[in-house]
Amino acid sequence: MRHLLAALIVAFAVPATAQVQGVMLDEPVEMPAFVYTNDLGETFTERDLTDAWTIVMFGFLSCPDVCPFTLGNLEAAVSETSLRVRPDNVPKVVFISVDPDRDAETVSEYAKFFHPDFRSFTGARDQIDALVEATDSFYRIMTPDSSGYYEVQHSSSVSVIAPDGTLRAKLQPPFDPGQTAEFLARMQISYRKELSQ
Amino acid sequence: MKRLALALMCLPGLAFADGVSVENPIIPLAPPGVAAHAAFMSITNTGDTPRQLIGVSAPAYAMAHIHESTEKDGVAMMSAVDLVEIGPGTTVTFEHGGLHFMLMKPKAPVSEGDMIELSLEFANGEVEQVTAMVMKRHKAHDHSGHGHDKHHDHKHGS
Repeated sequence: MRHLLAALIVAFAVPATAQVQGVMLDEPVEMPAFVYTNDLGETFTERDLTDAWTIVMFGFLSCPDVCPFTLGNLEAAVSETSLRVRPDNVPKVVFISVDPDRDAETVSEYAKFFHPDFRSFTGARDQIDALVEATDSFYRIMTPDSSGYYEVQHSSSVSVIAPDGTLRAKLQPPFDPGQTAEFLARMQISYRKELSQ
Repeated sequence: MKRLALALMCLPGLAFADGVSVENPIIPLAPPGVAAHAAFMSITNTGDTPRQLIGVSAPAYAMAHIHESTEKDGVAMMSAVDLVEIGPGTTVTFEHGGLHFMLMKPKAPVSEGDMIELSLEFANGEVEQVTAMVMKRHKAHDHSGHGHDKHHDHKHGS
């Protein structure tokens, strides 16, 4: 027993010293029904969450620093993940703009810029709020300045949704590609173990 | 040394005013249609007196501001910065997750390889002209973690 305990301590001590790239949820969280659209007429609904791993990120297009950096790193992380998991387990990346007033006309171009398979959408306020709330995310549209320009605050973490359509984990900055890929690969192993039980 | 200084002065993207030098000015290429761009660089005060950066202008854009990204309790936010103090002999690095020059509404489409003129305004009335190159983000990003000097430690002045 003591040996087992020692082994456990070692096992937990190692990840603790590495940078935290993600947090697995204790219990999977069901996602609500939602529908998002983009300027190409594509839609993204809760039915698109099933049969694949999905990473959902909330942001806005007038975000010069954090959003492009996050998507750039997610591109690298997903590319790393593709070296570790089966092709059909490589996560899809979906960007949801919480700023439809400014972004609706061009939103489809945004995520694609970072990877041709990344997709981006926006939607009605209640649709945005439904998924923001269900994923324990956050955003706030700030008061416009005299020129009408406004800032948007938003969660820096992104949500990982399993092929059963439930939220399983949150990924956090700095989204180190190798460590994020390792986290995602390990999470998929524990997901499959859980399914086979 | 004189030859080195001359060589440095001939490099594009480097600018010298009295006591101020700027290195690695870049603008990561933004996705098409995006009206908010960011410029990053390192600004070193090589003189003996503190310098205060108080503004930026960019003729190619409708608006330019000094901005800072911050993260608090998992929420990413941005705020305008009025003044960045740069002490003698210190470098302030404008980089991801911290200070950046926010450039709004380009007057013409901005493409990879474009050279964008910026004027950094200091409290003593001096203006530092900087030419920033537009480059793909992954190229700029590739340098991170490999000891590239734009990522060295620094103190934010705001």
